[in-house]
Amino acid sequence: MMSPIRLSGPQQATLVILRTLVGWHFMYEGYTKLPIQAWSLSGAPLPPWSSAAYLKAATGPLAPFFHWLGNASWIGSLDVAIAIALTAAGVSLMLGLCTQAGCGCALALLATFYLAAVPTGSPDPRAEGTYLLINKNLVEAAAVAVLFAFRTGSIAGLDRLRIRSRPPGVRESEVTL
Amino acid sequence: MNLTPEQMDQGRRNFLKALAGTPALAALGVAAGLRGPIPGGRVRLGFIGVGAQGRAQLGSVDSKYGDVRALCDINPAQLKLADGVLAKNQLPPARHYADWREMLQKEDIEAVIMAPPLWAHADLAVGCLEAGKHVLCEKMMAWDVEGCQRMRAAAERNRKILEIGYQRNYNPMYQAAHEGIIKTGTLGDIYHVRLAWHRNGSWRRKGEPPTPDYDPSGWGYPTFDHLDNWRLYWKYSQGLMAELASHQINAANWFLGSTPEAVFASGGLYRFPENREVFDHVYATFEYPGGRTALFSSIESNAFDDYYEMYFGTKGTLIMLHEREALLFEDGGGGRQTGIEVTPAGPGAVAQTSETMAANTNQRAARAGSGTGPSTSVRPPATRFQMQRFCSAIRAGTPLACGSAKAIASARACILANEAVKTKARVRI
Repeated sequence: MMSPIRLSGPQQATLVILRTLVGWHFMYEGYTKLPIQAWSLSGAPLPPWSSAAYLKAATGPLAPFFHWLGNASWIGSLDVAIAIALTAAGVSLMLGLCTQAGCGCALALLATFYLAAVPTGSPDPRAEGTYLLINKNLVEAAAVAVLFAFRTGSIAGLDRLRIRSRPPGVRESEVTL
Repeated sequence: MNLTPEQMDQGRRNFLKALAGTPALAALGVAAGLRGPIPGGRVRLGFIGVGAQGRAQLGSVDSKYGDVRALCDINPAQLKLADGVLAKNQLPPARHYADWREMLQKEDIEAVIMAPPLWAHADLAVGCLEAGKHVLCEKMMAWDVEGCQRMRAAAERNRKILEIGYQRNYNPMYQAAHEGIIKTGTLGDIYHVRLAWHRNGSWRRKGEPPTPDYDPSGWGYPTFDHLDNWRLYWKYSQGLMAELASHQINAANWFLGSTPEAVFASGGLYRFPENREVFDHVYATFEYPGGRTALFSSIESNAFDDYYEMYFGTKGTLIMLHEREALLFEDGGGGRQTGIEVTPAGPGAVAQTSETMAANTNQRAARAGSGTGPSTSVRPPATRFQMQRFCSAIRAGTPLACGSAKAIASARACILANEAVKTKARVRI
């Protein structure tokens, strides 16, 4: 068994900041997709969000599966589920509550998004950049994997309250590598 | 569970300490300070007065913006016609009321669109504002200046939106003309504006009471004719100056960037003296600061001139015709006519200018000779844009075009123009 190492203050802080930023990203993405009626700042009602267009445009080996999802009659339920999952993962990461589960949920979502559109390097005028295999979804997934591996809930967040109530075991701010 | 006060205190401190270890609270604080999408569904609307203009407003409701919950009118026949408007526009039925106070009490509405006879504007608008409703009131603002001021005070006191419905403000063609012609100084200095609204008819409606025994006297109308033809009686109306001139004076105030200081006028009841009181011919001269003058005429004996606003500048002339066309003439013999094209599909206007033909001050002959007119003949759905913007203002706080200050200015000018006709004196506004 490897010996536990103690993370320095800056190391802990940057991990928690990373978790908060990723959490914010998820939470806001989910919040705006929830079926809550809203208006833009310029004063126009926002149309309801749907994953159908993204799924129907899926490429890669799993494309037929995603196309089937995009055309499913229950796409509305799937949209709500995605929005709730995004929001829940975001809240979990931001507050450090059930952090490991939140990381798992975020990883699953990012993996799905990545597999639905694996970047092939072809320039797309509608895209914000040009990517070959590695895109922002994959990079963010890697960041979430780091958060998962370092169990950042034990550094800061509401998980600490739960950890405190447990019998003495792994000490706080110690990570077994 | 039994915790000592010390344990409770410790638990609170642990909780706060755990939160303090994460920047989540700070991030949420920042988020609260920023504005993202604004939550809220469609604006819940009630209508008071669903006569011809009220129904035009009703038919202009965009179901993505507004949700019509209730209709109020003292004439059941109008409510029935309004139901038809809702059905035609594929909007769900709304509940009916004859008493606007009952509607406000029973319905969970946020805003009221009102188009009752002019004399009722002030009392109804103030009542709605005092009840905490936003109000979009059909023009003119009120029968008298005191009523206008009461409306403004009620809106300010209750911090509610009060918009007066002048459709030109929301007409993309007018917005394009203001932005692209007036503000750019294309016309040079404007010293003269001509406002005309000429028609050939009595203005009298020939409606039938909803039932033979219908009695509107409880609402202040001694006969059904007084209700149906309220525009023809001074008690309820300010005549042509309110129903027609106020549109054009409001637009002239916008384009000139100021309001008239004085008015002298003439007119009278010359052609249709029977069964009506308000003038059928009016001619008014409005004096603006800086030596600028607007002449308004409205006659009910000849429709050749139709209706338009003409802005005469030192470098060019702009004609806003029938709310459908905008024509620009450069000054001088070699001038050109330029059309402003409007895209009615969107809220913004597209001003496209193109040389078409030599200037000709006879508009009708020039347009007829041009074959292909430079402008669309489609009237932009300004009322629909107005309704959308009203709902947007309620939800998102976006600005509106004609609040109390502007509406009072045009109303005051028109009310005092009638005073000038009656007193045959120059009246300071």
